[in-house]
Amino acid sequence: MLNYINAITEEKSYSGLQMKEFKPVMKLIIRGKKREFLSAIGKSLNLLLPTESNTSSRSDKLTALWLSPDEWMIYSNETINSESNEYGTENLLNKNISKTNLGAVTDITDQFVLINLKGDKIYDLFETGSPFNFNDFRNKEGSVAQTILAKIDIIIHNQNPNEVNLFVRRSFSQHLFSWMNDSASRL
Amino acid sequence: MFVINCPYCGEREQSEFKAGGEAHIIRPKQPTELSDDQWAEYLFMRKNIKGIQFERWVHTHGCRKWFNVVRDTSNDVIKAVYKMGEKPPTK
Repeated sequence: MLNYINAITEEKSYSGLQMKEFKPVMKLIIRGKKREFLSAIGKSLNLLLPTESNTSSRSDKLTALWLSPDEWMIYSNETINSESNEYGTENLLNKNISKTNLGAVTDITDQFVLINLKGDKIYDLFETGSPFNFNDFRNKEGSVAQTILAKIDIIIHNQNPNEVNLFVRRSFSQHLFSWMNDSASRL
Repeated sequence: MFVINCPYCGEREQSEFKAGGEAHIIRPKQPTELSDDQWAEYLFMRKNIKGIQFERWVHTHGCRKWFNVVRDTSNDVIKAVYKMGEKPPTK
């Protein structure tokens, strides 16, 4: 993670809702279709990629989100060293996946911003600006959805009933965060 | 506005998708041997039926996969959804 001027600088708190950026977190997109790809990932990371739609899997250090039948996002559960742009996981996957032509690995650490939301009003906030039906999502821990919030593409990951991780592209993050603050102040 | 059942993600609202025009148009094997009229027929001419139409859609704000939809254009009722490469339902 390089030292950028961050779009989201503060932690916001409302009744039943807290929002803050969680950083720095390593994020990777991996793509591949072959069965060997799935087993190579499993062996390299000690993590089985979820093959069922809208689900995720988790190991001690990493979480894998299902994005599409041949695409997953992997992110670190804990924060990483902010001084370096080198990630052990990425290097390992480059060696075992990219160089053996099983699939593609892309570093998106600096492309996506992770916003952590906590509280019992998360879904009240989402429902003000998203066409997605959250009924199944909110009841199933670990579920993942890619949808729109205030016309911005987001990826959301259900941590537990009162906590959601939200990924948004960096260029949209400031606008989305200010929109969420506006919306949350009227809940 | 209507709901589309994405074959990969499940039911989502229409605003997450983009329409990609008529489905099952086959590219001519030898484009160089066609007349301009035949090429234009392939390239531009599309059906615009009031009733059952076969269309391609893409889940732009979701899994970004293309798939086919059988839609009644008169009332937006979706009769079937099937993946790319699969045969269209006959009924």
